[in-house]
Amino acid sequence: MPTVHDWINNPLGIVDGLFAQSNSCPDWEKKVVEYFKEKLKLNDAHTWVPSLNDVPLHYLKPNSLVKFRCMVQDMFDPEFFMGVYEMNDPTSNSKQVKCGKYKDITEGGQVDFNSRSTVTSERQTFYCVPIPGESQWNSFAGTSQARVVPSTSYVPNRHKRSYEEDDEMDTQPQQMKDGAQSSAESHGNIEPKRQETEAPSHDSFPSHCTSSLDLNFPLPGEKGPACLVKVYEDWDSFKLNDMLEVFGILSVDPALSVIADEREASSLLDPTEGMETVEEQRVHSPPASLVPRLHMLYAQPLVHNNPLLPSSCVKKPVATRTCTIHLSSVLGELASIRAELLTYLTHVLLGDSLAAEYLILHLISNVYSRRDVLPLGKFTLNLSGCPHSSPFTEHLYKVIQQLVPSSYRLCMSLHNMNNQRMVPRKDYTANRLVSGTLQLANNTSLFLDETQLEQGQLDATGVRNITALGNLISWQKVDYDFNYHQMEFSCNINVLITSEGRSLLPSDCQVHLWPTLNPPNLEEYLSAVQVAQVPSQLNKYRIYLSVARALNYTISDEITKAVEEDFVEMRKDDPQSMSAEDLHRLLDVARLLSLSHGQNTLSRDGWMKAKQLEALRISQTPQQKCVNGNEP
Amino acid sequence: MDRLHWKFEAALAGVQVRDELSEKCQKLFLEFLEEFQDKTGDALYLSDAQELIRPERNTLTVSFSNIEHYNQQLATTIQEEYYRVYQYLCRAVRHFARDHGNIPPSKEFYVAFSDFPSRQKIRELSTVRIGSLVRISGQVVRTHPVHPELVSGTFLCLDCQSVIKDVEQQFKYTQPTICKNPVCANRRRFMLDTNKCRFVDFQKVRIQETQAELPRGSIPRSVEVILRAEAVETAQAGDRCDFTGTLIVVPDVSAMALAGTRAETSSRVTGKEGFEADGIQGLKALGVRELSYRLAFLANHVAPTNPRFGGKELRQEDQTAESVKNQMTVQEWEKVFEMSQDKNLYHNLCTSLFPTIHGNDEIKRGILLMLFGGVAKTTMEGTSLRGDINVCIVGDPSTSKSQFLKHVEDFAPRAVYTSGKASSAAGLTAAVVKDEESHEFVIEAGALMLADNGVCCIDEFDKMDLKDQVAIHEAMEQQTISITKAGVKATLNARTSILAAANPIDGRYNRAKSLKQNINMSAPIMSRFDLFFILVDECNEVTDYAIARRIVDLHARNIESVERVYSTEEIQRYILFARQFQPKITSEAQEFVVDQYKRLRQRDGGGTTKSAWRITVRQLESMLRLSEAMARLYCSDEVQPKHVKEAFRLLNKSIIRVDSPDINFDQEQDDNKTEGQNGAEVNGHPGEAMDADEVEKQEKPAAAKPALRMSFAEYKRVSNLLVLHMQKMEQLDEESSLKKSELINWYLKEMESEIDSEAELIAKKNLIEKVLYRLIHYDHIIIELTKTGLKKISEDGDEPVVEEDPFLVVNPNYILED
Repeated sequence: MPTVHDWINNPLGIVDGLFAQSNSCPDWEKKVVEYFKEKLKLNDAHTWVPSLNDVPLHYLKPNSLVKFRCMVQDMFDPEFFMGVYEMNDPTSNSKQVKCGKYKDITEGGQVDFNSRSTVTSERQTFYCVPIPGESQWNSFAGTSQARVVPSTSYVPNRHKRSYEEDDEMDTQPQQMKDGAQSSAESHGNIEPKRQETEAPSHDSFPSHCTSSLDLNFPLPGEKGPACLVKVYEDWDSFKLNDMLEVFGILSVDPALSVIADEREASSLLDPTEGMETVEEQRVHSPPASLVPRLHMLYAQPLVHNNPLLPSSCVKKPVATRTCTIHLSSVLGELASIRAELLTYLTHVLLGDSLAAEYLILHLISNVYSRRDVLPLGKFTLNLSGCPHSSPFTEHLYKVIQQLVPSSYRLCMSLHNMNNQRMVPRKDYTANRLVSGTLQLANNTSLFLDETQLEQGQLDATGVRNITALGNLISWQKVDYDFNYHQMEFSCNINVLITSEGRSLLPSDCQVHLWPTLNPPNLEEYLSAVQVAQVPSQLNKYRIYLSVARALNYTISDEITKAVEEDFVEMRKDDPQSMSAEDLHRLLDVARLLSLSHGQNTLSRDGWMKAKQLEALRISQTPQQKCVNGNEP
Repeated sequence: MDRLHWKFEAALAGVQVRDELSEKCQKLFLEFLEEFQDKTGDALYLSDAQELIRPERNTLTVSFSNIEHYNQQLATTIQEEYYRVYQYLCRAVRHFARDHGNIPPSKEFYVAFSDFPSRQKIRELSTVRIGSLVRISGQVVRTHPVHPELVSGTFLCLDCQSVIKDVEQQFKYTQPTICKNPVCANRRRFMLDTNKCRFVDFQKVRIQETQAELPRGSIPRSVEVILRAEAVETAQAGDRCDFTGTLIVVPDVSAMALAGTRAETSSRVTGKEGFEADGIQGLKALGVRELSYRLAFLANHVAPTNPRFGGKELRQEDQTAESVKNQMTVQEWEKVFEMSQDKNLYHNLCTSLFPTIHGNDEIKRGILLMLFGGVAKTTMEGTSLRGDINVCIVGDPSTSKSQFLKHVEDFAPRAVYTSGKASSAAGLTAAVVKDEESHEFVIEAGALMLADNGVCCIDEFDKMDLKDQVAIHEAMEQQTISITKAGVKATLNARTSILAAANPIDGRYNRAKSLKQNINMSAPIMSRFDLFFILVDECNEVTDYAIARRIVDLHARNIESVERVYSTEEIQRYILFARQFQPKITSEAQEFVVDQYKRLRQRDGGGTTKSAWRITVRQLESMLRLSEAMARLYCSDEVQPKHVKEAFRLLNKSIIRVDSPDINFDQEQDDNKTEGQNGAEVNGHPGEAMDADEVEKQEKPAAAKPALRMSFAEYKRVSNLLVLHMQKMEQLDEESSLKKSELINWYLKEMESEIDSEAELIAKKNLIEKVLYRLIHYDHIIIELTKTGLKKISEDGDEPVVEEDPFLVVNPNYILED
């Protein structure tokens, strides 16, 4: 275990040091970034950095290096600041050149605005929130070992305080606490038992934050820190809704809030003076104790947020030992894991193995490419035949939640459809993007529960929401509302619809559930099925699903030909049975089926299997007797 | 750096530093104003300056290109040191105005620069731009009310009562640093004399990056713009404007200047233990402040943005071809010119527009013409006739209808994509209804947005509520839409082209029925569509292969394999340019139109061969619109017969493509004089065709052998088979061509398995000869080569089939259709 790391505890010291060495030669900035990148590359180094996701903010030392696994929710306008400034030191009455990078406020002393050495620089601010819908197992199975456990003051109970209380506490006392903390920190490894008992309590948190400030989480009932991430390099490479792991310097200086307050007060007094309105103030300079600033040193885009797998962006496998073991074992016994998962899902789906098979295909689907407007690889599944108003869908969602890194269950009740804000909207008064349920990171599983729908009226919002859901499913994009125009943001969301009859929303594939089991007490049965899965088994499933989804896939020329001929052949027999759309779906099924077996190319056998599977599915789907208006 | 430093000085202290460069600039600028002459030799800005006498005027607009013309160096200085010299330029205007008119001495004047050559994107505004003159464009998203801003204050020293005039104010209230009375040392106690101060109108607006400039996946950036003097109230929220001015950083001085002077009022600080508040106070006293600045764009001139290419304004009323051309860069213009010279433009545009959709060329052409549009006209009575072309695609499910619509939405500016199922023009609500039997939920009607000046893509048009179809009907013909809400009837402009897709009534297109019977649409609405296309999921080996190839390709290869002759931007630019043409119909074309129309009408009324619907004046109008669009496509100022011809062909194709009846070979050879070249495909729907057959049977019962008739699909199949074979042979050996007899023999051999008796063989042979005859003489798919040098020339009217055995080649222009 590491002892004291200056680069984690006092990164600004290193920045200032490098700045002082440079003699205002501009490449010191690069050196700083290089330095931290190097440090983080060291075998397990990045796991020592405390994570904002896991550690409550008030246990983190201000101006220390932290990491944050997050999604870019909004991008603010660029900001100019004094990269270098000169200061009159009142004590020694001497002038000093200071570096302003990675900081929010000046150090004490009078800033000399007329100094020739002032350098104006530019930085970009992103508003980041924790990845929406991240499953519980995700944050607790996390790779972060450096969970800060202050030996003295950590009482799990205090976990439950609302943010209101938090910020009353942590202006001044926090700094006093810091001393104690730094010595007590990085004890690392918490025994797994602790983690597991903690998990359910986390869930029972009061989800609503009583604060007047809306932290703008995409999903209702979300919690966790939101962060203003200041980006100094390459900000154009980041896109909205990107998943990132940010390593940066935490800035929670209470002086920030005071300055902000003052400006707010002054702008009330004289509207000409402040450039921003009160609403903007509130959004763009929230109290640091509530929304900390994070000055980015290094960010790693995340392809997936499954902590059990090494992030594929890192060249070296830097996963902890346990992870690597998991991974290799999963790849080795892929076939058996698939079989086990199939059995498990079959049990969950009341004995319908075909539906279980399709559910696996759905869970590993992924938009791998876009051709013009056409997203390829999406596989929206409509599981029809789900009993109306029964705990079945809820349990099914729980099972999926246990399997995927992030997910969200949207009950399509009329109330929800008419009242929920799904499409993000630009609020020009506060100058921010007000989030909506459909602002989700890539590969999130969206579980639409149509069994909750009842007859009634949809109002304007409801109609818009239905349209947005339809667009999301058909084109994998969401049109954000910018008031004067709409803007299209493409996404990659796995949509699963459970419904009684066929869904009113479009889908790529409809599977009708034919239960073979009829347990007397459905709820008891389903809970029992879930409990029967030991955590290690679940971890295997999780890794399996993430790995299968990320596999590459090709079709050889030979198979291409065979498929083409097959299609023509099928059309000859009965043109009605096979349309272009069917071929699309068949190829999708074949792709996912191959991937689910760990094969990254389509074989003749795989093609035949896909055809059989489809034939079976179609034969089990209740025939459409007439056109009801839900045709694609 | 220097610039910034200078600015702070001015901003903080309000000190007037003597600035030689600026003074020189002022002098030169005044000279420019005095001397610059327009083409006729008059001083250009003199009359403008005299206008400034009027009390409401205070801004002189100067064209920047004139300055560049007059003195390049002056222009460069203004551009680079704009913020620094701005005050001096305004002063020059004041001198100029005062020299030429009786103007109160205290009046402030401002200068505004129009025609600034280059334009920056909001995203490109960086620290380098601070202080220099730039032009940016953006969409105004928020405006604040106008209020007066103190420009220059007159203060009264409370100690010695002396008056201090002209204290410059920079974004904040600035008191004099020290009383100017040398014996008075007052630095703090001053009173502002508002009656002697000068104010200027001041307004803040916020602008946002336009969609076209935005990198995909990013949030548009915005910037606060400060408008002063006459520039206020010129921009409204939603407008797209160009702003000329400079980026400034406003130092956040309040934190320093007011440190410690104001009691803590904020709730966040109060209620805490005393030492805390003191601690923070202490920090502040030390001058702790934020490192960031406030940013703003100080604009002197606002102008509406010209339509940008690739931007969202394909249509602008007061545009001319010339003005559009002027806004293009040289390369862009060259490309447009090159495109207009392209002989194969029509085809190339079609393929470039829908690279991923296979086949369906006629639909592509129709949509292309829709994008070009016809000319809107107003009759002498004041009735306006629409120029927009409406297209409807009817087709079996999963025949890429939606893809067409989606493509258009993606491509065309201001396009709206909506689904008829969830859309309603009348109400904004929809009902969820559950089907008791199947437990399926169904949605009925919702909100429909109609984009003015755009394309409205309506999927599932047939699912639309009847009353909404009526609203659409109004939109299609009157180009307005009426909304009645809370007793108020509003009529909105909806000059929009409609691209609709509809499913046939039974889910699949029934060939046995007419178009009207196949779709759930009222006749008046149907007649408002200029073009109807029918997409049938035809079973045909050639097509199937092509479809399979396309789909498998899509799935198999990850690389972009889309081939386009022209890029989307090029086409958008071209269409914008071409749309400026208002082609007039030539007398020649006029006659041609009349001829064609007469023929359509005659056939329509002729009883035996009726068209799918009655040909009325609407079809004539459609034909004109399509011809105009065709002329526009070629950037032609007049509609020529060739344009009409294509329009006519398309109109024909569109109405009855699948309705092609059975082909009756006997009849054809008889009346090939009356049936034109389009005869093969222009015909009534099967119902009527049956009538015709019956009539015929009565006339010549002997000739009407069943074998001599074949369905159109069968005919197509045979012809494709022949053409494929011929093409294959031609590829194998380029020199040799097939003889007609060889071809017939080959065909019969192919059919061997189906032929049982000799009689059948003869019938087949007879049939294939007829098919060939038709392919050669009506459809012109196969060309006959008669070797004139070797054999005697066949005379006119002779049946070549009997006489010779000519070589046959496939028409090089023929593309296998699917």
